[in-house]
Amino acid sequence: MEAVARRKAAAYVCRSCTRQFQRQLRRNYSNSAPRPDIYDVVCVGGGPAGLSLLTALRANPVTSHLRVALVEAQDLSKVKSWKLPPNKYSNRCSSLTPTSALFLDQIGAWEHLDQTRVQPYHEMQVWDGVTDARIEFDWAPGSAPVEGTTIAYMNENLNLTSGLLKRLEQLGGVSVFEGANVENITFGEEMEDLDLSQWPVVHISGGKQLTARLLVGADGANSPVRAFAGIDAKGWDYNRHGVVATLEMEGEGWGGEHTKIAYQRFLPTGPVAMLPMPGNVATLVWSTTPENASLLKSLSPKDFVAMVNAAFRLSTVDLAFMHTQGTDQDDEYSWRLQHTSFNPRAIPQTVVGVQEGTVASFPLKMRHADTYIGERVALVGDAAHTIHPLAGQGLNQGQGDVQSLVKTIEFAVTHGQDIGSIMSLESYVSERYTANHVLLGVVDKLHKLYSAGSGPLVPLRSLGLNAVNALGPLKSFFMKQAAGSGTKIF
Amino acid sequence: MLPSSPLRQLAPTMARRVRNPKTVARLASIPQYSAPVTTTSSPSATTQRWHSNHTSSPSGPSSSSSSSSSSSSVNPDEISHFNALAATWWDPHGSSRALHLMNPLRHDFIQNCRSSSPYSSFTVLTEDASDLLPPSSDAAHNTTHNTANVQKLRYLDIGCGGGIFAESAARLPTTSSVLAIDPSPGVLAIARSHAKKDPGLSPKLTYLSSTIESLPTLKPEAVTQKFDVVSCFEVIEHVDHPSLFLDHVAQFVKPGGWLVMSTIARTWTSWFTTNFMAEDVLGIVPKGTHDWHKYINEYELRGYFEETEEKRRFWGRPRAMGVVYVPGLGWKEVPGSEKVGNYFLGVQRLAGEDNA
Repeated sequence: MEAVARRKAAAYVCRSCTRQFQRQLRRNYSNSAPRPDIYDVVCVGGGPAGLSLLTALRANPVTSHLRVALVEAQDLSKVKSWKLPPNKYSNRCSSLTPTSALFLDQIGAWEHLDQTRVQPYHEMQVWDGVTDARIEFDWAPGSAPVEGTTIAYMNENLNLTSGLLKRLEQLGGVSVFEGANVENITFGEEMEDLDLSQWPVVHISGGKQLTARLLVGADGANSPVRAFAGIDAKGWDYNRHGVVATLEMEGEGWGGEHTKIAYQRFLPTGPVAMLPMPGNVATLVWSTTPENASLLKSLSPKDFVAMVNAAFRLSTVDLAFMHTQGTDQDDEYSWRLQHTSFNPRAIPQTVVGVQEGTVASFPLKMRHADTYIGERVALVGDAAHTIHPLAGQGLNQGQGDVQSLVKTIEFAVTHGQDIGSIMSLESYVSERYTANHVLLGVVDKLHKLYSAGSGPLVPLRSLGLNAVNALGPLKSFFMKQAAGSGTKIF
Repeated sequence: MLPSSPLRQLAPTMARRVRNPKTVARLASIPQYSAPVTTTSSPSATTQRWHSNHTSSPSGPSSSSSSSSSSSSVNPDEISHFNALAATWWDPHGSSRALHLMNPLRHDFIQNCRSSSPYSSFTVLTEDASDLLPPSSDAAHNTTHNTANVQKLRYLDIGCGGGIFAESAARLPTTSSVLAIDPSPGVLAIARSHAKKDPGLSPKLTYLSSTIESLPTLKPEAVTQKFDVVSCFEVIEHVDHPSLFLDHVAQFVKPGGWLVMSTIARTWTSWFTTNFMAEDVLGIVPKGTHDWHKYINEYELRGYFEETEEKRRFWGRPRAMGVVYVPGLGWKEVPGSEKVGNYFLGVQRLAGEDNA
């Protein structure tokens, strides 16, 4: 990524002052104090949120003159040149809503994704593992949003980051500091002619210091930028892990190549979801207890596949029993399956294999930062909020943040505001905070609601699910929300 | 919530403020009170102020030559009020919050004014047809890459206060320079120290402690070179002799350039919102900031630019935009509200000669 040209003296505010600094730099060369290296935007974190922020800023003619830098701990050249054989898929996939896809298209990144690895899906089947109450999210005639019937796109995270990096390279103009850890963030100094005492200075490994008009924390759940800004993040751990894996299916799905279906079953331990990838491939996200997660990771491929098939078919009692077995789930599953009745076309096709090395797990938590902004600081993506993956909204929330922050910066630039000032950043928080909070809350409540294996909530939630399923307009509303195409509620 | 501004926040003690609604009702019932100033024969306190020095015949911009530079339109009480407010000027949640929120609208209004006329301050100077294109954000963008071909604007901000507008104007890529003047040394000190916090400002932004009357003496080139945009936001309701003040201002506007103002109409509503609610009840605007008697109605201000044939040749047709503060949402443009409360008025200078 070093090829990305570093723009000199081209900053929005700093265009002329950079020149001035360079002059002063020469003049003060004998002095030991280095003149600050000032950027309009320093983004810490080169994940989907950070990369799309920089891409959007560079692609927008109003903000493209800003002097921007990216600090990322990973080696980005590996990400950019990421490539897998056509039949292999990464286990870290995300659902991209049409809204996110449209944004990525607007900033010119969508076409840089490997489209053969992106899978739109058109229907969702969601059911209660305890009562079998079910909701089928298929578009009733006439209810689909105009742009098509796609609910969302399944995509590997690496396909997205790799595509964003390619687009960013095409745009140029970002100073990229990769393989660089943030060692410290301090404030600048007050000099005779310049007071940078409220400007963040990012110290990165190798001794380089970047002074930021606006420091963006796209640096994940344990955001150092958030810590620097003194912003607290509240929430809780779910005591659940998300088990992911890339699965090989017996076929392309019940709907064939052109009508792909996502499945989610709520089990008392958490939801298990199977999401379609191209061809006979699907990706698994199974939220379960840490103990179950470590058991699943320890199983042979044959037994793991049996457990996944069981998770979508057997009763929760059978499934719980199978988690107590150390091994031989495959035999147990074959036997129990004969004694379980279900409609095979209402559940995913049978899993026949698991891609080697793709079974992994990560802890699930809910966090929400108290605010997204501070003086010369803005947080996006996981640095601002961490959500339960059951609705597949985490990455989309981050893209929504970025879209809003770029809009805020664009407004500030065209109205002469300081893009780092609280005054100009306020609209970003007011646009995103409540929306994210509602979604975090809804998903959190859903998790809790479906964690109950018995008790008064169980029949009630089933009643609710069946009722929603019966009411066409309400269902269509939920689908549009999921697709990000409806009236903005979440 | 009103506008508070540099100069505007100035009006402290002087406040012959009307606290009793009955008094206001009485005042409003006096016919002359709301009549256009040009037809008033027995001026009330307010109209006297508007006319002072010009009671016989408000002449054109030429009258500016008749005033001496020692006289100032600025009221000393106003200066002390704004000095006292200086400390919180840049606090986003401080006394000037309403002003900070209003600032983007000022740029929208200027943009709106400039794009309304094919004639610009550059037409005259360069005869370059490309300058006839209305400015747009694309044009603003191009400027940064194509500085040689695009003219950049020179701003004069009168009554700049802590520099909320002046800083923002200097940050625009389409701006070449901003000269910002204010008679209050205290607020200028705040403005200067705040500007020091942004390294991008110093090449473009100059603060000067001056009144409009003394500017030609302190900076003679301000008269000869003139400005593409001359702004006086939330200022005119704080000066003692608005028409004299405007006469002075005229000489700094380039032919084709714009004089842009904002102020508050003197109505029941504005008394209730800006004096009673904003200052006394809600405390959004510091007490003593506004003297309701000094408010100027849109038709009065517009009248100044249209009252004589000479003025109509000198100035284009004034453009107005009414704005309303909605708590929690900020300022919104509301067509027609210029008759009621806060409004912007912009007018383009047409004539090339200062003394028509």
